Amino acid sequence: MYDAIVIGARCSGASTAMLLARRGHRVLVVDRSSFPSDVISTHFLWPHGMSYLNRWGLLEQVLAVTPAQTEIDVVNEGIRLTGSVPAELLRAYFRDLHGDDSGVVRTYASIRRSVLDQILVQAAAKAGAEVRTNCTVRGLIVEDGHVVGIRGRTSDGQLIEERARIVVGADGRNSFVARTLGLPKFDERPRCTFAYWSYYSGFSLETAQLHRRGRLACAVVPTNFEQNMVLVWGPSEWSREFRADVPGNYQRALDFVSPELGELVRAQGTREERIYGTLDQAAFLRPLHGPGWVLVGDAESFKDQCTAIGMTHAFRDAELASAALDRWLSGGAPIDETMAWYEGRRRGQDAAAYYDYVCTLAEMRPYRHDELQLFVALRGNQQEIDRFIATHADVAPVSEFFQASNLFLLNDAAKETSAGYPIFEDFAATSRMYQQNPFA
Amino acid sequence: MTTGLDQREDGELIEIILDAARRGDVTTMARTAAEVSEMTRNWATHIPWDDFATLDGADDELAQVVADLEEMWEPAYLRKPVDPDEEYALDKNAYDFYRPAGRNLLTRTEDYYGWVLARRRTETWQYSRVLEAAPGSIAEITNDLGRRTRGINFNSQDYLSFNTHPAIRAAAERAMRDYGPHSAGSPMVLGNTRISDELERALGDLVGLEHVTLFPTGWAAGFGVVVGLVRQEDHILIDRLAHSCLQQGARAATRNVVRYEHLNVESVRQHLVDIRSRDTRNGVLVVTDGLFSVDADWPDLVSLQQVCREYDATLLVDVAHDLGSMGPGGTGVLGLQGLLGSVDIVMGAFSKTFCSNGGFVASNSPALKQYIKMFGGSHFFSNALSPVQTAVVLEAARIIRSPEGDELRGRLFAAIDALRDELTTRGLTCMGEPSPIVPLLIGNEKLARVANRLLFDRGVLAFMVEFPVTPTGSSRFRLQVQAGHRPEEAREAARIIEGAIADSRAYLSSAFGSAAK
Repeated sequence: MYDAIVIGARCSGASTAMLLARRGHRVLVVDRSSFPSDVISTHFLWPHGMSYLNRWGLLEQVLAVTPAQTEIDVVNEGIRLTGSVPAELLRAYFRDLHGDDSGVVRTYASIRRSVLDQILVQAAAKAGAEVRTNCTVRGLIVEDGHVVGIRGRTSDGQLIEERARIVVGADGRNSFVARTLGLPKFDERPRCTFAYWSYYSGFSLETAQLHRRGRLACAVVPTNFEQNMVLVWGPSEWSREFRADVPGNYQRALDFVSPELGELVRAQGTREERIYGTLDQAAFLRPLHGPGWVLVGDAESFKDQCTAIGMTHAFRDAELASAALDRWLSGGAPIDETMAWYEGRRRGQDAAAYYDYVCTLAEMRPYRHDELQLFVALRGNQQEIDRFIATHADVAPVSEFFQASNLFLLNDAAKETSAGYPIFEDFAATSRMYQQNPFA
Repeated sequence: MTTGLDQREDGELIEIILDAARRGDVTTMARTAAEVSEMTRNWATHIPWDDFATLDGADDELAQVVADLEEMWEPAYLRKPVDPDEEYALDKNAYDFYRPAGRNLLTRTEDYYGWVLARRRTETWQYSRVLEAAPGSIAEITNDLGRRTRGINFNSQDYLSFNTHPAIRAAAERAMRDYGPHSAGSPMVLGNTRISDELERALGDLVGLEHVTLFPTGWAAGFGVVVGLVRQEDHILIDRLAHSCLQQGARAATRNVVRYEHLNVESVRQHLVDIRSRDTRNGVLVVTDGLFSVDADWPDLVSLQQVCREYDATLLVDVAHDLGSMGPGGTGVLGLQGLLGSVDIVMGAFSKTFCSNGGFVASNSPALKQYIKMFGGSHFFSNALSPVQTAVVLEAARIIRSPEGDELRGRLFAAIDALRDELTTRGLTCMGEPSPIVPLLIGNEKLARVANRLLFDRGVLAFMVEFPVTPTGSSRFRLQVQAGHRPEEAREAARIIEGAIADSRAYLSSAFGSAAK
């Protein structure tokens, strides 16, 4: 009999298991893979994601093999905003959500899952959690409507059965726990992006590049093994045509969004792996908890890849859920009370506003005139650029940036005009052109 | 780690698998699955990649694999048809149209208008409803599609129910007879009457400040006093949530504007330290509401005034919502905090409790009064309050200070307490403190717009506020209570509102609650 069984040993699962084990609870964590192991991911950690690793004492291990930067370039229709997430906003984030603001770092990083997940699994084991890899969960044991354990199979075909006071579903977008319990999806947002990416050696960048033009976007981000992740994405309704010629359209999209990055990749880059892709990105929420079970990470709330927030949110869930479970397991409060606390932090107003923000971006509509003018108005206003980046990354609440008096003030403080940017010359015609599928 | 430049891309492989699955060819499925990337296999944990060979063609396991793979590999939104009008209406915010494109000022408003029409067609446009009769605790209204309804009215600003008060109506009739409907000029010329002076004295008595200036609207008072006093090189510290007239006045007056965290006096102090370390020559105006109109809370004015004095800054407090409707003898938040007569500048509006358009600015300085009369453009260059308006406000001020005023405020707060209690008991979140404004937090705009549509037909009139009145993602219903509301009416309304919110959440299939964090 364990205190907790965690299904899934990646970002949300291994972290939850580690944090619970550190509090002295008996934890079993199972995963169908053996590590190191890769999985579809933008594998990006925003500064609060890195701060979680730091709070848990794992950051050094990651930084020993992973490049990290502080400044990031966000370029929309040629309007470049360069900035970073301010420490003060990071501290406020941790204070508000977790009640303590220790361990804040301002760097971000792109970490291959084959690197990160193994570090997390080892940390869980070191903390005292029992880790079983190559172990596939085949069923949940339910008694009187209460989940009380799991049935599974090891790689050599041996059947296992284990019991615990709580089962944590940390098993991703296509969660087995959710499917087995028949959990509904809420707030479904079927409009999402398709994304294709690969890994290139041969060049290095000072900062991560996020570019957007029309309905397409690309990101070039330094990652492990002296490689760069090169990612392109667009509206999922264009995916079928894109698929007709993946390598050709991948380069075409890159050239369209940023001719400079397209040229850099073509002229200096050497592709090191095949091109990967997905459009399994529609956002949804699931119920967070029920009798004997609780969900964390993508299993409870999946969002499109376009803000690369999934791993950071998985870490957040791990800290919230483990704090809630610890309080209950230690006899501090009834489980209903601690789960309500977890739910309050995951289903409140700020979470809803950010969810809407990501889902709207994921529709990949061409930027509106007012949005582009806002980006121009931000140029030269470093404090507000930084706050915008912090808002985009879900460090600062959407409601504090997108507030009338703030937007008016940004306008008034503008140092640049739209004169230098060709997108404003014939905006209506350009916007119409952007609606055409370039891969058709 | 898998590295395979020669390996085929997953999409191509999945199409082969799908094709084979539809034919029941499990051998091809299994062979192809072996080539699918580790990334995708670990992502799609619900697909039995390793077990394809054992799937029975007759079993529905195979159909499940086809369905799951199609779901992964076809754009999800194609499976769920939506009403494009409703999607458009619910998805956008007014700020999406703040900077329209094009050089023709007439035609470039059309995008915004298209959105307004979509909101109207889907009956989610909360603005521009009209009254069919005097708005009491019950009102009869028509929406902008011409549909009529009747309901418990939390949509009107008449906190002490003066609009139907016989003495108020008699005062209006008297002024009409004595002076006619028109003031016929600026107050700087010949727009004022003898009762204008009486009104200035009555208001001065109410807030304990001797020198009062009248403005034609509350908005004009706020805007006028800020632009009248503050110059380019001066500074303004303004609460983030202060009223629009003050925010816009600040923008018009200077570029040196800091929006401080709502109610945070310590943050004001820090900004003042910062400003005074750089600038000892220019003025600083600190601006706040008394009772905040969509959050129903108020600042610690005692500390705020003290901090202002320490750094030679001037405090301006807008008491539009609280003066007359709450506090000892109707003295509002100033009276509650024992600050009558000791705040630098007080401004207010008559439109919430005093039963009329109009506003005022009060201070202890005759010089300040003369200065803003001259330089606050909205006083000098507007027609004065009409004689009827002046008489109504004067009579309202008299009742507010009388024992009858106390009794009306008692009834008002009985209704407020009933409403807040019933809403809270039902698990909803009322923001702020008990006051004539009861903000019911909703959060998500879509949820609020749909709930608003349902309420229209269920007998409650409530104003939904969203951006730009509230920040993005924190929409709410602003329920404005009147002395004429019976407590049981308020409780009935709370029950109806709860039902509409629950039904809206089900309609949108939303799991988000409304709590702030």
